[in-house]
Amino acid sequence: MADNAKMQPDDAQSGLEVGLDGDMSGDGQEDQIAPSPETAPPRGAGNKHIDIGNFRVFPDLRLPEFDCGPSQAYVAEGIKRDDGPIFALLTDPSLPTRSELLRVLSGVRVSGQLDLLDYEIVYWPPLDRSTIVCFYTKPGGSKVFVDGGKKAVIDEHDLPVAVIVPVINILTILSDKNLAHRNLRADNLFFADEQRSSVVVGDCVSCPPGFAQPLVYEPIDRMTAEAAGRGGGALSDDLYALGITIAALGIGHTPLSKFSDKEIVEMKLARGSFQTLAAHEKLPLTLIEPIRGLLCDDFEERWGLSELNNWLDGRRVKPVQGNSDRRAARAQNVGGRDYYTARGLANGIANNWAASLAPLRDGVVEVWLRRGLNDAERSKAMSEAMRQMAWSGSDKRTAEDVLVSRGIAILDPNGPVRHKTFSAMLDGLGYMLSYDVQHGRGAQAFSEIVVRDLPTFWFSRISGFRPEIQSQQQVYKGLRYYMQQQSMGYGYERCLYALVKNQHCLSPLVENEYVIHIAQLLPALEKIASVTPHSNWPVDRHIAAFIAVRLQDDTEPQLTALQNPGDEVEFSRSIISLLALVQWRHGPDSLPHLGLWVARLMEPATKVFHNKERREKVEREIPRLAKRGNLVELYNLINDEKERRLDQDEFIAAVEEYSAADSEVFDLESSGAARLILAEQIGRQVASFASTMIALLTVSALFMMTVW
Amino acid sequence: MAKKKDKSAGKSSKQGKKSGGLSFFAILVMAVLLFMVALPTFITLVVGLLPSVLAFFFDRHRGRYLVRCVFGLNFSGVAPYVMELWRDGGQSMAMATHQLLDPMTMTIMYGAAGLGWLMYLAMPPIVANVLNLTAQRRTVELREQQRDLIKVWGENLISEIEKGSR
Repeated sequence: MADNAKMQPDDAQSGLEVGLDGDMSGDGQEDQIAPSPETAPPRGAGNKHIDIGNFRVFPDLRLPEFDCGPSQAYVAEGIKRDDGPIFALLTDPSLPTRSELLRVLSGVRVSGQLDLLDYEIVYWPPLDRSTIVCFYTKPGGSKVFVDGGKKAVIDEHDLPVAVIVPVINILTILSDKNLAHRNLRADNLFFADEQRSSVVVGDCVSCPPGFAQPLVYEPIDRMTAEAAGRGGGALSDDLYALGITIAALGIGHTPLSKFSDKEIVEMKLARGSFQTLAAHEKLPLTLIEPIRGLLCDDFEERWGLSELNNWLDGRRVKPVQGNSDRRAARAQNVGGRDYYTARGLANGIANNWAASLAPLRDGVVEVWLRRGLNDAERSKAMSEAMRQMAWSGSDKRTAEDVLVSRGIAILDPNGPVRHKTFSAMLDGLGYMLSYDVQHGRGAQAFSEIVVRDLPTFWFSRISGFRPEIQSQQQVYKGLRYYMQQQSMGYGYERCLYALVKNQHCLSPLVENEYVIHIAQLLPALEKIASVTPHSNWPVDRHIAAFIAVRLQDDTEPQLTALQNPGDEVEFSRSIISLLALVQWRHGPDSLPHLGLWVARLMEPATKVFHNKERREKVEREIPRLAKRGNLVELYNLINDEKERRLDQDEFIAAVEEYSAADSEVFDLESSGAARLILAEQIGRQVASFASTMIALLTVSALFMMTVW
Repeated sequence: MAKKKDKSAGKSSKQGKKSGGLSFFAILVMAVLLFMVALPTFITLVVGLLPSVLAFFFDRHRGRYLVRCVFGLNFSGVAPYVMELWRDGGQSMAMATHQLLDPMTMTIMYGAAGLGWLMYLAMPPIVANVLNLTAQRRTVELREQQRDLIKVWGENLISEIEKGSR
């Protein structure tokens, strides 16, 4: 996992294809000296620059010492006002940024945190796509720590004041807002001034929480999650990272750096975090107490801010147990290895998915929980999970996978949701999904987890009160419904945008435009429309889901109509309605190219009118309104409720009239024989009547002639 | 219920027979009276209305339209001679015999009856033609009306009707 995190900067660098500036390359991590913060951006001829709002960025001038994980730093300067020395941090567009932290930290000066002046979405030519660029004030001093050193950069006696106090400050501010930094590590600290009296923490907004952290910085319950799925976490996770940071600064290198990620995970699970560190690193004696407190593997027992402040004040703090995991009397073997703790066994099962089914299904693990670990509650939960698998019906293979996943949840309820190769914390599922979708792994694993309702099971197994989990529980309630719907506006796309607030729209149409806010969507589509003509609708599954989540209005009626693409009239009306709704809410007023795009495809929508004259009138109006670029007017043209009702009523009357005429014609054409019979009868009646009348007239005439 | 219906139907047929029998009896009474009071007229009527009498016996159809047709015109042919018998001949047998032996008289009387029979034969085809022409004209009108509807509403109209019929 940490390999992944570590590899990110290299991947991103290769993706950018920006040549390193000769002067700057020497100031990298190798000699641990950052460039002078007062260094002005070079103004020599040929320096390309990009103006972004109030800032100017030089894409040819890199500042690798300010890189943060996959995000790359560039030389920048203020245009309109003097913000002092600044740098621009270009985020990797294939990774979502952290919206809550961007909102909280942007434009605010927070002691202990690098000042985030602003952030902008901008087209970045080397990437040939848009992404977010964050503008930070350059710290007054150099980078505190570069891995690979032999001795401490800060004296262990100065460390509490220089490092712990400013870090406590930023962590306090963030935790007050229910946020966590999740990017706190030794190599993301900078000296705030040249005197090196205090430090500031670097970027924490440019990539998913914990993504850039080496695995050792992750607490025991999050370390087995994939880098992108480590989750937003809470203050306790930041405090754990602070513990490792203190250790790293105290010993001069990243702890356990000589071990692989797998070894670190196994050592931590077997012995506990602090014991592992203490066994392999020579920790400074004065710092052992806070390191032990902060690296406590039980997040409820872990030192909080008050314990840390008490320690800073020289007060006695309650001692904590390093590893609180209960150890079984006998081992449980999975995949050829013995495990003594539930958490260790959960990790063993996750790493040996296929081989773990038998002991889980046959009740061996359940017996081990009851007899070996003496944990009746978990044993009961395991037998319940086994019983549910027996009821599963025909889809046995899926039920077996669900049993393994549930077994892991029972053994390690605070750990990540694990299902086959997928592993992400409950509060990191969205980021994990985003990573998987954007890196070609697809959403299959996430879909299975949500459809099998595994998060709900995980929530039910979590013990103790964790506010960040409670809030997540609300979000997950709707996800299963979204996944079960197959039509546009639902599916994994809807889950993605619902879970990740800063996820840009992944529609192939606008992906390069980095559309995060709903207000950006139509201008992006307008830009696309102005370049190439399209034969498909400007709304696909991603855009429909993006609108459904980001637009505050109720779009369910439109999405319901989209469920039946066969009904092209309703389908096209719904798409135009969605776009018109977005334009009505967020503008812009004129979208001529998008209007023409929509107009070309809205022929089916004119079929909403049955009357040919009305339809021709609408068809004459469409090009005129399309040129004006007002989608709302276009929508109103085909959705004039009064006119539609009139048309519908008249159409029904016409259908009835036509049908009546049809049946009358049929009657007339098929009644020849009956008519002959009728004609014979009438003919005879007429003949007899005429004959009678003639007789009467004759007699009357004769009588008259005789009388007169 | 069905029995009741059968009963009522039986009653009405009995009544029909009764009324038919009654009218026949009335005619018979009138004929006897006529025979006793005005024998020449009786002879003229009997000979002159012979086609009607034959038609009466041969036409067994409901409504007896043939009888009515033949009798109407036959009587129109006989009536002038009966009037002449009353007015000019003073009800004499000689006059009646003279009239009946005159071929012209017989031609007129029986010719009129023949016309009545021809009318009975010719009228149904004429009426059938009239009805057929009316039906054709109505069909053309309805087709025109449907064409007008399609002009206004397009092929949608047909597809909607087809959808409805499915």
